[in-house]
Amino acid sequence: MIVKLERIEVQSRKDMEMIDITPEVDRVVAQSRLENGMVMALTTHTSAAVLVTEGIECLERDVLAHLERLAPKEPPDGAYGYWHNRYLDYDGRLGFNAGDHLKSILGGVNCVFPVENGKMVRGSRQRIYFVEFDGPLARTVLIQVLGNGGAPDKLSDDD
Amino acid sequence: MQPPAIDFHTHPLLVREMIARHPELARAARETFYIGNNFQPLETFLLELDAAGLAEAVVVPIDATTSRGATIYTNEQIAELCSMSSRLIGFASVDPHQPDAPDRLEYAIAGLGLRGLKLSPPTQRFFADDESVYPLYERARKLGIPILFHAGMSWEPGCRLAYGQPLRFENVAADFPGLPMVLAHLAWPWVTEAVALALKYPNVHLDTSALYFDNPRDFLSYAMTHVVPLTVFERSLRRQIVFGSNYPRVEIKNMSRAVRSLGFSEECLALIMGGNAERLLQAGRDTCIPGAAEGAKTSHACAEETA
Repeated sequence: MIVKLERIEVQSRKDMEMIDITPEVDRVVAQSRLENGMVMALTTHTSAAVLVTEGIECLERDVLAHLERLAPKEPPDGAYGYWHNRYLDYDGRLGFNAGDHLKSILGGVNCVFPVENGKMVRGSRQRIYFVEFDGPLARTVLIQVLGNGGAPDKLSDDD
Repeated sequence: MQPPAIDFHTHPLLVREMIARHPELARAARETFYIGNNFQPLETFLLELDAAGLAEAVVVPIDATTSRGATIYTNEQIAELCSMSSRLIGFASVDPHQPDAPDRLEYAIAGLGLRGLKLSPPTQRFFADDESVYPLYERARKLGIPILFHAGMSWEPGCRLAYGQPLRFENVAADFPGLPMVLAHLAWPWVTEAVALALKYPNVHLDTSALYFDNPRDFLSYAMTHVVPLTVFERSLRRQIVFGSNYPRVEIKNMSRAVRSLGFSEECLALIMGGNAERLLQAGRDTCIPGAAEGAKTSHACAEETA
């Protein structure tokens, strides 16, 4: 039985951005020596998402634009406001990014794929994205493998 | 060509590389400055500037040795941080309660290459118009550097509002007309009083780093169009407003977007986002007072200095 958790850091470079992390998930699966089981990717943040869609730029733009329409950073003047716009003493600052938290909920924070014969099984067009809604920031994504296989290669120092 | 856009007010408290070198900075961030954000690589700070369309940022320490038994970055640490990126402009801070504060300031400017002085009366527990601090102001004037004062309310626990009252800065502005000073945070909740000071004293500047409720767009719209009409800033104070974010209490991108959304003319926006800061940062300049070159509101003392 193999249960292995790796933390990776993703540096977003823009306010909102989709970053393809599929190669990183593939790498963790390969290094784990997992034969059959599953792999999960999960972001530890609440103003970011992990989601799966087709890996083309036009669709990346549409995903970001649509989520922004559904949960805008700044609602239209006079339309509605966010309760989150207030001082958070535990953070030493105002929280005014409710729209980004809501986009995170809409996008979801994790995804799961099966692993078969040492390879992640996914659709030919499916890619795994870390999605930034409030960047730029250095973010953490957890990748965990679970299942049967041989002895794992050494993973990162974090482990 | 427009001057480079500058954030005149940032606290580099989240920079992971500096915390790795100086672990006590983590405690300063959490227990003295009370910021809870995750620590980030320096790259994130620079990307924040990119996302906001800015070229450079002023990074400030606070020496609260007497009041808190702590410094939020030393001057040496600020100089060390600035050596990591040409986009960072370091300010000094000294403890105004210490008699050798003027000499410490001179070393920070002449020896470490820092370019301004940051003082926070609420954190450092002093009144700006206490004449015991005047030797420090006199040294700053001689060095030709600006002072960035915290003004208005401070979120930090233990900080009394009275220390940030704008009228406590009036004697300093009047007694040191050749000393450029910036009152941060629009001195909220006393925005009108701060604007009155800036209208009366050409060496008084205001920075935009104000966010006390709602979001940056709505708050600045309230403070800079409803409390005081935008036309006052545009027509009378266009050379006395500098862009500041107060990062990391607010992301630079959000404050930049808010200031740009207020409706300033392009000329005025260029001054706020960079031109005014550039002039303030020219240490050893001939004149530092806005309007002096136009013959308007020229202060007597500054006119004497430049004669």
